[in-house]
Amino acid sequence: MKSRLFAIGLSATLWMLLLAAIGPGVSAAELDFSHDIVPILRQHCVGCHGDREAKGSFSINTRELVEQSGHVEVGNSDASYLIDLIRSEDPELQMPPPDKPRVSAADREKLARWIEEGLTWEDGFSFAAAAYEPPLLPRRPELPPVVNGRENPVDRIIDAYLAVQGVTRPQPLDDTAFLRRVSLDLVGLLPDPSTLREFLADAAPDKRAKAIDRLLEDNVAYADHWLSFFNDLLRNDYSGTGFITGGRSQISGWLYEALVNNKPFDVMARELIAPTTAASRGYIDGIRWRGEVSAGQTVEIQFAQSVAQSFLGINMKCASCHDSFIDRWKLDEAFGLAAIYANEPLEVHRCDKPIGRKATAAWLFPEIGQVDPNAARDERLTQLANLMTHPDNGRFTRTIVNRLWYKLMGHGIVHPLDSMQTAPWNADLLDLLAVQLSDHEHDLKAVLRLIANSSSYQSRSLVEEQEPSVAEFVFRGPLTRRLTAEQFMDGVWQVTGSAPTRMDAPVLRALVDPAQTAGLVLQASWIWGDSAAGGKIPPAGETLAFRKTFELDGPVARGGAVVTCDNSFRVFVNGRHVIDGNDWTQPESVALHPLLRKGKNEVVVVATNAGDAANPAALFFEARLITESGTEVVVASDATWETNPKVPVGREGRLGAISGDWIPATVIAALDVWQQAIDTHGPPRLAQAISGNVPMLRASLMKNDFFMKSLGRPLREQIVSMRPSELTTLEAIDLANGETLADALQRGAQRLIDRPWTDRSELVHHVFEFALSRQADAKELEVALEYLGETPSEQSIEDFLWSVFMSPEFFLVR
Amino acid sequence: MRYEIDPTAPDGIARRDFIKRLSAASVAALGCSSPRGLLGNEGLQFVHPPATADACILLWMGGGMAAPDTFDPKHYEPFRDGLAVKDMLSTFPAIPTAVSGVEICQGLENIAQVLDRGTLIRSAVQADLGSILHSRHQYHWHTGYVPPQTVACPHLGSWMAKVLGPRNPVIPPFINIGQRLEGVGESEELKAFTTAGFFGSEYGPMNLPFPEQAAASVRPPGSMTQERFVNRERLFRRLIDQSPNRKYLSEYQQESMLRSMDNAYRLLSSADRQAFDISLEPDESRKQYEGSHFGRGCLLARRLVEAGARFVEVTTEYVPFLHWDTHADGHQTVARMHAEIDRPISQLILDLESRGLLDRTLVIVASEFSRDALIEGVPGSTATDQATVRVEQVSEMKHYGLHRHFTGGSSVLLFGGGMKRGFVYGKTADQRPLIAVENPVSITDLHATIMTAMGISPATGFDIEGRPFYVTQDAKGQPVRELFA
Repeated sequence: MKSRLFAIGLSATLWMLLLAAIGPGVSAAELDFSHDIVPILRQHCVGCHGDREAKGSFSINTRELVEQSGHVEVGNSDASYLIDLIRSEDPELQMPPPDKPRVSAADREKLARWIEEGLTWEDGFSFAAAAYEPPLLPRRPELPPVVNGRENPVDRIIDAYLAVQGVTRPQPLDDTAFLRRVSLDLVGLLPDPSTLREFLADAAPDKRAKAIDRLLEDNVAYADHWLSFFNDLLRNDYSGTGFITGGRSQISGWLYEALVNNKPFDVMARELIAPTTAASRGYIDGIRWRGEVSAGQTVEIQFAQSVAQSFLGINMKCASCHDSFIDRWKLDEAFGLAAIYANEPLEVHRCDKPIGRKATAAWLFPEIGQVDPNAARDERLTQLANLMTHPDNGRFTRTIVNRLWYKLMGHGIVHPLDSMQTAPWNADLLDLLAVQLSDHEHDLKAVLRLIANSSSYQSRSLVEEQEPSVAEFVFRGPLTRRLTAEQFMDGVWQVTGSAPTRMDAPVLRALVDPAQTAGLVLQASWIWGDSAAGGKIPPAGETLAFRKTFELDGPVARGGAVVTCDNSFRVFVNGRHVIDGNDWTQPESVALHPLLRKGKNEVVVVATNAGDAANPAALFFEARLITESGTEVVVASDATWETNPKVPVGREGRLGAISGDWIPATVIAALDVWQQAIDTHGPPRLAQAISGNVPMLRASLMKNDFFMKSLGRPLREQIVSMRPSELTTLEAIDLANGETLADALQRGAQRLIDRPWTDRSELVHHVFEFALSRQADAKELEVALEYLGETPSEQSIEDFLWSVFMSPEFFLVR
Repeated sequence: MRYEIDPTAPDGIARRDFIKRLSAASVAALGCSSPRGLLGNEGLQFVHPPATADACILLWMGGGMAAPDTFDPKHYEPFRDGLAVKDMLSTFPAIPTAVSGVEICQGLENIAQVLDRGTLIRSAVQADLGSILHSRHQYHWHTGYVPPQTVACPHLGSWMAKVLGPRNPVIPPFINIGQRLEGVGESEELKAFTTAGFFGSEYGPMNLPFPEQAAASVRPPGSMTQERFVNRERLFRRLIDQSPNRKYLSEYQQESMLRSMDNAYRLLSSADRQAFDISLEPDESRKQYEGSHFGRGCLLARRLVEAGARFVEVTTEYVPFLHWDTHADGHQTVARMHAEIDRPISQLILDLESRGLLDRTLVIVASEFSRDALIEGVPGSTATDQATVRVEQVSEMKHYGLHRHFTGGSSVLLFGGGMKRGFVYGKTADQRPLIAVENPVSITDLHATIMTAMGISPATGFDIEGRPFYVTQDAKGQPVRELFA
C-alpha cells in the first residue's frame, strides 16, 4: 500500500529537469557522495523532493529522511522501491515521470551502488536551504545615537535602520488621524466627537502621551479589544465545534479578568500552560473530538502545537507527523512536547503509524533547562511553564512583542507572525521590545505604550501601490490596516447607538464603585451533608451532590456566582458544567447569564472533602442575578438546599442523572479562615455581576455570527494570529443588503433624526466626526446635504450612514 | 455586463489602473500564498487536466443515505411481524432502470428513467473514524480531510472558486443551497466545513438556506426600492470621489475594497440576479420541482448554473435524526425521501440536457455514508452502535429500516460532465456485510475524479503556513479513469 501511494504522489507531478549529458560509465572506484550522488539527485529528484518540496510526502533532504521513507532498503538496491521506480518503464509508475528525461543507465547504477554501499551521506549535508536559527537568549541592543531629538528607543533604532536602507522617514501624522488610529489600536473604538475636540483643542506638548495613557487606563475598553486578539491566539470562543459534546471548554472568564487587571503576560502564560484552576484549563485541553483522530491531532499533539504556536510562534504542525521539511523541528520534538501533557506514555507516530517507541517528555530549548520526564504530569506542566517564561527564553518575549508590533504597525518585525523561526527585518528592534517587556514585569501595556509613543508609530501610513512583499520587506512606515470584524461592528454601534444589550461572553465586565461592594452583604451559609450534623467532622474523601432549584421570571440580563469549598467543587447549571475549584482560599466567580432561562432552573454542585482523615468540609455558593424584567434574585447555599451521596457521573461536560434520595443540607458554622476568604473575594465579584453600570457592549463579547464571520472573524478551531486584510465580494454583498447592518442603520437613523440639530450640516459633521474623526469638507457636505434634502428622512439618513461606513476611509485605519 | 436598472448609474469613482493588479490583490488571505510551483520555480507547476465539465452541482443527501434502500438494492424482505433484523437487507423491492440489467429501489422511478445519462458508483467507501459522527464524515466528504486538522480546510466548492474562479463574474462561484447553519443541531460542526478555510471568505460559500428566499439575498435590503438603491450607490461613490483623504490610503487596499463593493453592486443590480428568483420560473416547469425544499433547491441550482454559477450544492438538509438520518422508522422515512428527491433530480438532469448544459455540468448525488440494519461502521469496527431501536426481530413499523451507520459501501451518482452514461462501477457484496467487493472508491479518489472533471489537477496545492496543502489529501488522489467517457 505504501508503495502504491508513493507512485501516485509522484506521477501526479511534473519534474523540472535539465537535459542531461550521458555521463561516463560506472567507475569501479568507491562512490563519493558529494561528487557522484548529489549531482544526480539534484538533477532528477530535488526539484520535487528536496528543500521545501516533498511530493508524495517524500523528501530526500537528509539521509535520515531517505532511510525513514521506506523506499530504500539500505544495502539492498534490488529490494529498494526507489530503484524499481527509476528503472520502471511503466509510465504510471516510473520516476522521474514520463514527461521528464530518464535517469541514465550509468546514473541508475550509481544510485543502486550507493544504496548497496550503505547510503553514504556527508555529515550535516542537507538539500534544504541553510536555515536561519533565531537566538534564544534575550539581548539588550545598543541604541544608536539620538537623531533630531527623537529619543524614543524605537525611533533611535528605526532612524538608524532607515538611514542604512536609504529610506526617508515617513511624514508625521496629524492629530486627528493619530487619535483615531491610536484609539482603534489600543481599545478598538472610534474616539467620540467630544474627546476628539478636546484633544484637538489641547495645546499641551505631551497630549499624545496623555491620550495613550488614558486609553491604556480604560481597563474595560482595553480588555474588550484585546479579548479578540487573545481569543484568536488561544482559540477560545463562546460557541463553536466541540462545546456541544463537552470536548472543549472556554477560558473566557479567566481571560477577561486577566486582561481587565492587566495580568503580566508571563503569569498568563504560566496559568495557561500549567493551570491551577479549571478556569484556564480549556487552553491546554484543546478540542477533544469523539471517535478516533489521526496521531497528529490527538489532544496531546494539539497541546504541543498550540503551546509552540501561541507562545513561540513556532509551527509544529509539520513535525507532528514527520520531521519537518521546512524547518528544523523534528518529530521527536513535537512528541516530546506532547508527552509533557500526556497522562499515559505516548507512542511516537510517524505519518500516523506507530514507530515502536514512546516519547520522552522534553521541551524545545534544553539550553536553559529541561522538563523532568519522570515527574508527575502537573509537575511537568509547571516545569514547562517555568521554562517558557524563563528570563533566558528570549523567544517567548520576542514572539509576543512581535505580535503587538504587527497589531500597531501592520507588518511584523518577523512576518508572518508564526514564522518566528525566520529572520526579523531588524533584530535590534525585536530585541528592544522584548527587553522592554521583561523590564516591565511582562506588562503588555508597557510595550504598547512605548510603540505608540514613538515617532515611528506617529507617522503617516504608507500609501502603497501594491501590497508590500514579505520576502523583500523594508520598513518605511506604518501600514494601513483594515478594521477587524469587531472594530467595524463596534464603530457602527458607536455611531448608531445600536449595540446589543446582552452579551454572550460569560465574563464579569461591569464597572463597580466601592460603595456598591461595601453595601453588598453575603447571604449564603456554609453547608455540608449529615456527616457534619451536630458538629461531627466529615470523613476524608466524602463526595456529595448539592442542589437547588429556583424559578426565574425571565432570562437573566446579568449575574454571576461566587463559589468556594473546602476542598473541591464542580458546578453544573441546568446540567452544564460551568466551573470547578479546589482551593478554598481562592473562591471562584463565574458569570451565569448565558445558561439561565425563564422558568425552572437548577444548580448542582458536586463537592469533595479531601485529606487522609476526617476534617472540616463545607460548601459556599451565592449567585446574584438580575432578570431582564429587573428582578433581583439571590440563590445562596442554605438549609433549603438538598444533598445526596449518590454523585452523578457526568459525561461530555454534562451532568448525568442523579439517583438516590435527597435530604436537606446541614448548615454549619464557618471556620474563620473560610469566612475571611469569602468576605474578601465575594462582595466585589457579586457587585460586579449585578452592576448595571455597563459600558457599551462590544462585538468581541458576542458569539460569532455570519456577519462577523464574513468580515473575517475566524471560527477559532485553529489558532489564527492574522486576520484577512481584504474586503471580499461576499462581505460586500452582506454589507450592501445584510440585515445586521440594515438594522443598526435604521436604529441609528431613528436616534439621529430625533436629536435637536441646529441645522442639517451639524448632523453631517457629527457623523463624519464620529466615523472618520474629521468634519466633512465643503464638497462632501454639499453632496450629503443634497441627498438628505431639506427635511432629512429616516431613510436618507440610513443611506448617508451606509455610505460613510462603506467608505475606505472608515474601513481602513490610516 | 447587463445592468437591469439605470444603465447610466455612475461609475464615478476616480479609478486608477487597478485592473492589472486584480489577481495579486486577492491572493494574500491569511498567509495563503500563490499556488505551489509558482514560487520562483516555473518548471514545477502541476498541470491541470483538460476539463470535461465547467460547472458542478452536488446534490447532498445529508444524514447517511442507505445504498440498499436507494441505488444498490439487495434481497428484499417486506415488513412483517417477526422479521429477523439479520435478514433485513433492503426494505424496498428493486425496479428496472433505463440501463438494462441495472436495478434501483422502488420509489425512484423517475431517476431510474434517467440512469442512462449517468454513472452509478456502488463501491464508494469511507474511513472508519472509530465513532461514526455525521459531522466528521461530512467534513471529510466536503473537504477531503478528516477533522480535526491543523488548518481550516476549504470546502471543495471553495477549491473550485479559488482555482477556477467564477464562470460569470456576477454570480458567486460557490453557492450553498438548503442548509440552515443557525438554529439546527450540530450547526457549529456544519459551519466548520462550510467555509473557504484558509483561502479566506472571498472563496467561501454564498449560503442560501431557503431556496424560495434566495432572491432576497441579491436584492437591495428590506423595503429599499431599486431607485433608492441606485441613489444610495451614487451617494456612496460621490462621497468617495470627494474625500480629501483618499490620497492617504494605499491604493491597492482602496481598490480591492471598491472592487468588492462594485462586484456586490453589480450582482445586486444585474439582470443575472433573476437567476436567484425561482418565482420567475414558468409554472409548468416549476411544478416539476415543487413539493419539497430540496426540489426547489434543485430548480434554483439549475437556474444558477444556466446563469453561470461554478459550483452549487443543494442539500436535503442535515438535521440530526431527520431526513436521511434514520435511527428509527427508516423504511417510512426513506420512502418519504424517495418522493422528495426522485422527481427533482430526474427533472434537473432532463432540464440540463434539454438546455444543452448536461455535457459540461457534472451533477453528483452523494452522502456521507450508507446505512445497514445490523452493522455500525464496518465489520469489526469498534464504533458505538447508534441505532435508537435495538431489536433482533421486527415487531413494529419503526423497527423496519436501516438504522446503523455503514461506511463499507455506498452509492454515488455522477451525471454529465464527461462521465460515462449508463455505466455502473464497483459492486458491493450481495450478502451481509454489504461491503464494496469490487473497485472501492475512496473519498480521496472520488475528489480526484471530480476535480479532474473540472479541470483541476488532484495535485493542486497551496502553501499555507509554509507547508503544502493539496486539493486531495497529500496530492494522492487518483481519478477513477474508468468513469470518464
